[in-house]
Amino acid sequence: MQVTLKVFRYNPEADKSFRYEIYTLEAEETDRILDLLEKVKGYNDGTLSFRRSCAHGVCGSDAMRINGRNMLACKALVRDVGDKITVEPLLGLKVVKDLIVDMEPFFDNYKKILPYFINDSPLPADGKERLQSPEERARFDETTKCILCAACTTSCPSFWASDQYYGPAALVTAHRFIFDSRDEAASERMHIIAETDGLARCHTAYNCTLACPREIPITKAIGELKMATITGKVE
Amino acid sequence: MATTKPRILPLTKRGLNFEMLMWLFTRLTALAMYGLILIAIIGALIMGARTQMNLADVLRWGFMPNSSHVQSTEVPDLAPWSTPFWKITASVLLLIAVAHGVHGLVVIADDYIVSSRGRNIARIISIIMVIAFSAMGLYILWTS
Repeated sequence: MQVTLKVFRYNPEADKSFRYEIYTLEAEETDRILDLLEKVKGYNDGTLSFRRSCAHGVCGSDAMRINGRNMLACKALVRDVGDKITVEPLLGLKVVKDLIVDMEPFFDNYKKILPYFINDSPLPADGKERLQSPEERARFDETTKCILCAACTTSCPSFWASDQYYGPAALVTAHRFIFDSRDEAASERMHIIAETDGLARCHTAYNCTLACPREIPITKAIGELKMATITGKVE
Repeated sequence: MATTKPRILPLTKRGLNFEMLMWLFTRLTALAMYGLILIAIIGALIMGARTQMNLADVLRWGFMPNSSHVQSTEVPDLAPWSTPFWKITASVLLLIAVAHGVHGLVVIADDYIVSSRGRNIARIISIIMVIAFSAMGLYILWTS
């Protein structure tokens, strides 16, 4: 089948403004959008720039807007998006070149919520692992799936308004550690996310839940964090 | 074998600040407004609205149970519609609606105003708005 691929192009060293390039390509309906971009880069225009790494939906490098929705280019198939495809960079982050955006504000927000395991207690008497029951592990299982692709944060209207908002991805990671029975910094993180640019900026638009390529129920997780500030229950 | 211990953070350690209390307040006041509007509509029906008022007038009363809202209807006697019970109901509805609405404006403003000075100015304006709207509303409700 023949597909029309309309790609956002912007080279800050040569262009005053962005433009769209249209490519007509032969494709299988099981081809991924990443395959089409690779084809354009390989055969039409080697200057086309986009991020990719594992190409299997694990590294989260190739999140972009495909027909107006945030997706991973390596997971979106031609048959899912149709034969007229528009590919644009993520919204809310500055475009560096073509489909590449500056991820610094995203990772700056991510770092604010202390995205690492904190437990200063002595090791158990046997000197081995800090054990956890299957139920305790299941409590935060969904939020462990985040791959930091930024599809959720850049689909959020509050983040478009201001990149000071921590964003859904940072809050998902906060959830992952706050509800982990082995972690001891829940209180510290709760105080961080309760700041004005944290939980209060989530207006439950649900865009993040729709955008997440890992199908994490993000809005639900943020709701659980909001309730935790009221009830104090982190179990 | 791991043991499950209760994990409930004490009141001072759960990030329960003014921001999150207002988040809870907004949800509770939304429910309270539904309840008060329902009370006003049921009260209107008990007082004869079914035959003396049209739907628009009943809803107008429901959203603000002030006796001036039934003056132009076929209600023969305004006395049952202007008792202290209805004045208090209307006053409570007014106060929580103003606080709920103005806080909503502050939340939206915080999306776009990110400097602490700008946010402080927005908060001062919002406090003035709450006081002014509440005072004007209460004056009208208790003197009309």
